[in-house]
Amino acid sequence: MRRSLLTALAVAICTASGVAGYQHVRSGEGGWHEIAWPFPRDGWPAGRAFHCDTAACGDGVEVYVRPKIGFCSNCDTGVADDDEVDRVADLDLMSERFAPLAPGQLIEVADMHGRLRSYDLRMQDGSRHTAVGIAVSRHCDLLVAVAHGRGAASGVQRAALEFLKSREMSRWMTLAVDGG
Amino acid sequence: MTGRLKLANSLSVKLSFFFSAICSLPVVWITCGSTAYAQSQVITSQVIGAPPEASNMKLVGANDLQARSAYQPTIHRQGDRWIAYVGHHGGTDEIPDPVNPLTGKAEPNGTSIVDVTDPAHPKYLHHIPGQEGKYEGGGAQMVRVCDGKQLPKGDPNAVYMLRTFGSEAHEIWNTADPANPVLITRIGGLKDTHKNWWECETGIAFLVSGAPDWRTRRMTMIYDLSDPAHPQKIRDFGLPGQEPGATGAVPTEVHGPISAGPQGNRVYFGYGTDKGGFLQIVDRDKLLNGPKEPTAENLRLPEISRMPMSAFNGAHTTFPMLKMPIAEFAKDKDGKSRDIVMIVDEEIVNECAEPRQMVWFADVTTETRPMMISSFTVPEASGAFCERGGRFGSHSSNESMAPVYYKKMAFISFFNAGVRALDIRDPYHPTEVGYFIPAITAATDKRCVKIDGKDRCKVAIQTNNVETDERGYIYIVDRANTGLHILELTGPARAVAGLP
Repeated sequence: MRRSLLTALAVAICTASGVAGYQHVRSGEGGWHEIAWPFPRDGWPAGRAFHCDTAACGDGVEVYVRPKIGFCSNCDTGVADDDEVDRVADLDLMSERFAPLAPGQLIEVADMHGRLRSYDLRMQDGSRHTAVGIAVSRHCDLLVAVAHGRGAASGVQRAALEFLKSREMSRWMTLAVDGG
Repeated sequence: MTGRLKLANSLSVKLSFFFSAICSLPVVWITCGSTAYAQSQVITSQVIGAPPEASNMKLVGANDLQARSAYQPTIHRQGDRWIAYVGHHGGTDEIPDPVNPLTGKAEPNGTSIVDVTDPAHPKYLHHIPGQEGKYEGGGAQMVRVCDGKQLPKGDPNAVYMLRTFGSEAHEIWNTADPANPVLITRIGGLKDTHKNWWECETGIAFLVSGAPDWRTRRMTMIYDLSDPAHPQKIRDFGLPGQEPGATGAVPTEVHGPISAGPQGNRVYFGYGTDKGGFLQIVDRDKLLNGPKEPTAENLRLPEISRMPMSAFNGAHTTFPMLKMPIAEFAKDKDGKSRDIVMIVDEEIVNECAEPRQMVWFADVTTETRPMMISSFTVPEASGAFCERGGRFGSHSSNESMAPVYYKKMAFISFFNAGVRALDIRDPYHPTEVGYFIPAITAATDKRCVKIDGKDRCKVAIQTNNVETDERGYIYIVDRANTGLHILELTGPARAVAGLP
């Protein structure tokens, strides 16, 4: 009896802490589902991770997004060049081996301006993915996102941007940078 | 009284009681006494007119530096005069270009030149304007000084001041007449210039910069400035992956190097500032004379070792103290003296919104196996520093290697906790022996955090950098525009340095 109670308590605590760890987007909205942040702790707090495996997302796309508060570089100029995207967009969380597919482009997400760039990403198991790195800023704070999938860069980029520009994600990103 | 204020006062009383109770225990009394927990009440915010907070340090003199945000002070003896050169960040949103009372003109923050021969009455001599721009986007943060007679090819009558010009250049001025400096040369076309190092005995300069084609915001350009009028580029240096044309992950950027000179034959580079930092130990001779093309292989060649730090901490200052005798090891047949590097992280964010940035001591005697041996931080509860406003955490140390303090004491700028004086004679057990937190003034600028998208601001001292002179005076400067404070040690702290 006591063991059952302890087990139930442990399950309840784990479930509660798991839920508290990240807020779910509404399940199935546009095929996107929130998943646990899959990376070990680094210098920045964990962000939010999402997976989409519907036809609309091509061959499966994942997006990882997080604020980097107090980045302290280019407070006035923002994300000024493609090198900045290479440095900050969290591509290295997945693999240190990536190469840009083309020059980046200007982008606006959640009323923040920055740049987007596509990459060929070579994973540890040797497989190749397409990745899209996004970095936008407000004052000295950054909001970064990286999306990856097995499909073409244009498809990964389109799916990721549609998702990040959704009302719910835009609101969360604004709050995340503005200290909400 | 608001509920929040009540809570703060209640907390401060409880904390005072807690520390009083702990410190009354005989076992920990020595520690408590040395870290100055003797305050009867914890101060949770600063107000204009209140006295400075101090232990074993006292104010000798001050100058408002024209209310300009300050970065590096360098104190230089010129004949029978002592001159302080203070680099500044750019201006603020409210006052982008403060008025220089000496000229009557609004000038972008640059370099203040102050005669501190009489430290009780510092005299502001000249302001050299810097790059137009606000905060880190302008000014002239960094400054080093060498005598012409010490540089191998310098004009023996000149005093050369090397400074950054905003983010875009390094400049050398002749400040033999410190009230009338003359520009000698400029190394331009750069971005993100920052914390340089200049060997006066050789003229070799390590200029932290952003070269246009490198993938990192900051790397190191190495110059021969033995003849300051004719800079000679030696090479570019950085980490493999940062060089032009590389792909993949970009290693974290350099913040600043300190060279042990040709005798020590080492350069200690600090990377990371406040995150994922590491100390890199480099063979100076291979760095200067090895292959110079910036390939991954050539960049790797002079490196002896790296000591990674936690992802939570970075390296702003890497201050070498080689061949330190360690009293505890005196009877050991081997290893009785150690090579120590003091690593100071930089706190970046206001009001404790990131992991604590602090001070670390690394034993690098076996260079390929460097190891962190101790650390120091200011106890937050001793001053409710996370509530006071602005940054709380370390930023930098004094970098003078003059005998008065070298390998005996270190001074650490700790933003809203002022300057902290450490007894480092046993670097395995650094101990705080004094501190000084200047009073705020009407010039002290606010520091804000975002709460629900809106700014919530507080005013607190932001001691940014610290330097010492050969006489033993300690110079601290404020990032929040409060100016320069000249200090001296008192009581037991004075005895640590062997001062009368």
